[in-house]
Amino acid sequence: MADIDQVIRTVPPRADRDPASRRRPSNRSRLPAKLGRAALFALPGLLAYGLFVLVPIGMTAYYSLTNRNPFNPPTRFVGLRNYGELLGDPEFLKALGNTVIITAIVTVLANVGGLVIATLLDRPTKLYLALRGVFFTPVVLSSVVISVIWQAILTDDGLLNSLLRAVGVSDPPGWLSDPGIALYSIAWIITWQMLGFCVVVYLAGLQGVPRELREAASIDGAGPVERFRNVTWPMLAPALTINTVMLLITGFKAYDQIQVITNGGPGTGATATMAFQVVQTAFTGNRIGYSSAMAAVMLAVVATVSVIVLRVLQRREVEQ
Amino acid sequence: MIDERTHSWLRPLVALFVGVVFFLPLYLVLVNVFKPGADIVPDPAGLPLPPTLANIEAVLSRPDHLFTFGLVNSIAVTALSITILTVVSAMLGHYLARSRRVLAKVAMVVLLCGLMIPAPVILAPVTSVLKTLGLMTTLQGLVLVNVGYYVPFGVLLFSGFVKAVPRELEEAAELDGAGKARVFWQVVFPLLRPASASVLIFLGVWIWNDFLTPLIVLGPDSGTTVTVGVYRAIGQHQSDFGAVFAFMFLATLPILVFYLALQKNFVKGLTGGAVKG
Amino acid sequence: MRRSLVFGLVTLLSVTGCGVGAQQAGTQASGGKVELTFLVFETPNLDAAFWDAAIARASAKVPGVTIKKLVTPNVDRTGYAKQLDASGDLPDILQSVNPAGFAQAGKFAAFTDQELSGFIAPKAGAIDGKVYQLPYNTQVIPVVYYNKDAFEKAGITETPKTYQELLDVCAKLKAKDVTPFVLGGGGADTWADMYPLTGTVATDVYSRTPDWLSQRAAGKVKFTDPDFTKAVQKVADLAAKGYIDPAGLSRSYADTEQAFRDGKGAMYPMGSWFATSADNDKPGFEVGAFPWPSDDGSPVTPTFTGGGTSVSATAENVELAKKWALAFDEDKANNDAFVKADGSIPAIKGYTPPADMGPVYKATVDIYQQGMKDNSIVNAFSQETGDGSLPPGLADKAALAVQDLITGKKTAAQFGAYLDDQWAKATQ
Repeated sequence: MADIDQVIRTVPPRADRDPASRRRPSNRSRLPAKLGRAALFALPGLLAYGLFVLVPIGMTAYYSLTNRNPFNPPTRFVGLRNYGELLGDPEFLKALGNTVIITAIVTVLANVGGLVIATLLDRPTKLYLALRGVFFTPVVLSSVVISVIWQAILTDDGLLNSLLRAVGVSDPPGWLSDPGIALYSIAWIITWQMLGFCVVVYLAGLQGVPRELREAASIDGAGPVERFRNVTWPMLAPALTINTVMLLITGFKAYDQIQVITNGGPGTGATATMAFQVVQTAFTGNRIGYSSAMAAVMLAVVATVSVIVLRVLQRREVEQ
Repeated sequence: MIDERTHSWLRPLVALFVGVVFFLPLYLVLVNVFKPGADIVPDPAGLPLPPTLANIEAVLSRPDHLFTFGLVNSIAVTALSITILTVVSAMLGHYLARSRRVLAKVAMVVLLCGLMIPAPVILAPVTSVLKTLGLMTTLQGLVLVNVGYYVPFGVLLFSGFVKAVPRELEEAAELDGAGKARVFWQVVFPLLRPASASVLIFLGVWIWNDFLTPLIVLGPDSGTTVTVGVYRAIGQHQSDFGAVFAFMFLATLPILVFYLALQKNFVKGLTGGAVKG
Repeated sequence: MRRSLVFGLVTLLSVTGCGVGAQQAGTQASGGKVELTFLVFETPNLDAAFWDAAIARASAKVPGVTIKKLVTPNVDRTGYAKQLDASGDLPDILQSVNPAGFAQAGKFAAFTDQELSGFIAPKAGAIDGKVYQLPYNTQVIPVVYYNKDAFEKAGITETPKTYQELLDVCAKLKAKDVTPFVLGGGGADTWADMYPLTGTVATDVYSRTPDWLSQRAAGKVKFTDPDFTKAVQKVADLAAKGYIDPAGLSRSYADTEQAFRDGKGAMYPMGSWFATSADNDKPGFEVGAFPWPSDDGSPVTPTFTGGGTSVSATAENVELAKKWALAFDEDKANNDAFVKADGSIPAIKGYTPPADMGPVYKATVDIYQQGMKDNSIVNAFSQETGDGSLPPGLADKAALAVQDLITGKKTAAQFGAYLDDQWAKATQ
């Protein structure tokens, strides 16, 4: 509480303001009012976050130093042994790699695709408005639903391969059964799900580009490519940031699609992500201690990425 | 400008084509919801002629009320969660956006990290916390977990938006003798409406669609949500796509309507804090 | 500020005051009865109506009990039971949950010899000599179900008696452009790909060393030993020769069965429960059945006995819960229903299946009874429960590794090494 109070008290007053005027409204005691504001505004959210995110993370960190296994008591303190084991665990490293691949593909593909489609739809007539709705619909659907749909399409005797066979492809790829392809199929499904989000955000960005600016550029003799690069693209920077943040979040969290469509396969760990690996280890293998160490490493990766993203975000805000 | 006019027929054609290809997977669900179960496997892509409501009726009249009870739970959990989340994260977002203290910055980073934590990873300890609080297998517990887990997203949106609201506005109101809380609710919060719309829509969609958290937190004997119902229907019917798709269709309908009702505001809310038109 | 407080209070009240019909329904024990929760799973064969009727029959025999049915979200009831246990919510009675781990941790109640007296194999699935799951039925895993039309068209007149004959059958089918084996294992149903390996392990390992897995637990044998490797190699060879279609690796269990029904392959190595499915909903061809053949043609019959109900040690009234579980598993009508819906072979003394069972079920039961006569019953690899079973999580790992074997990503030696490695991790 003292900390928060201090935060409020030391908020630097703006230079352009008469400091005396700031004191005027509070003839009542000032300190409790400040405390009250902090308590009222900041505490409920922080409390919920602390209880249901930070405390569980703390417990995870603690478990990660034990051999906790509810079916194999007693629980002993094992120090950093779990972490040592992680470094040499090919399945975990594979899951880490899979997560990075999925996140990278989704981030790039949905951004590029979203931008292209947004440029295509950047017209105010009914057709384009309707198409915008079409692209956004998957964002509203649950991952479970989307997984079921795509499983029906991509499975070996599924709709896509039936179509391919009908047009003469005798041996179509095993989209979900070939360990070399399945991961990319999953990345594609997530991209499909998120594409509409990027489209809508880029459209908002495009509509924020003043027409006069583009026209001025074309009068100066700039071609469409140059106009895009010099006028439109810089104005889309905030949209890019928002999309990238959302796609990173989605990529790192990838779990539902794996659980429903591939169960981490085909084969050992072909499509297992970090989140999937953690849950498997905890609930199928009962190894809570070890899975907690995985979770801790995962959280460290996530935290690093978050800090970097925040930096970029803030720099953009400054540039504006 | 000139090149656009000569190719005026090209853009709608390409847009339509891309849209149709993109929509195909959803089309497959839509047509099969209204098709007799036996016709789906031999002819998955054909139009449902004549259309039947048998699949939908079967879901609605299930003897175990999987859909109807789930619907009530889903609406209760989603409505409560997003109402509380909007209020709580608007206040916290405002507080953090206005505070210049290092601690507030740290709090922001810590909250942002929370955005990328997959819920399944911390689910087991979350149940321990709930048990300690005596809130396991209750709707209240599920709502509180949602609030804690999704508050970072709300804060991210609101704090971006608050920064676009001139500080002077609040100070002027305070000079008139209004308390901080009143200023916030009567002056600032109404200005944040687009952000509120985004928070409501996104968190509404996510909470409605979440299946693992309600599955574990509510447990098997306190009812379920419609999305858990979808998951269960998949297991029970397996290759009966008519039943599964009808369940999916009905489970999605409410949240789709909710989105359509709020969609005008929400794009502004997402970008309003950052995109300056 | 005061207004906000009031608002907060109102919100809080609205939350706490919020209840839902489904939640209240039946949570209150009525008329001094004990209410017990019963965890079941639903499949196309065992649907909601099936369970409700079976529960009602058992409850009629045990007065003083009301049963509240809980349904797992998917067919992995053991995984769900673990999650429920982790959140302190273990149901009182559980259907077909693997008791491994639960038993050792004292979470399940053991049945006494007296209670088990009605079962044919009262010690099946015992853990440290005690039985925690009623051994109510036997399954033969695998039985090779085959498409009689496809066999005929390929000029195959007799079912194979030796492994070489099986390979010859495969070659003949392949020559006619028919995929010999239908195999599945997509989505959450990875387990469905285990059956050929369960067959080869039975014929090449367990027939000589019935307690092989117990020896593995004691460290006397390894998965990389020659006999086990040979069993694995057989499956790898089937895939390498194109006798198993790797396409199956994306098929869910239901899709796999559908693929066999659609004639996408001629043979379907599956558990004996497929029999009633084939009888109740006849495919467009006749289905036959033969046991997985060994090299020299000597009979080997891999079976699993168990699979019934378990009782939580923390149930409100353990004695009553056990009584109800026994009533549920021993009830003649219930077993008839299980037989008809899920092709089970009840392991209850004095039980005879209904007379009107179909031909595929009868052929399946014949295989089992021949096995009893030959004294050729062995365990079904990866299906075991109790002492001498795989450590928790290992059956799933094995099923995933079989996919690698089929796609050629792992050799038989690598497969064995992988299982040894996973075993070490799972038991540390």
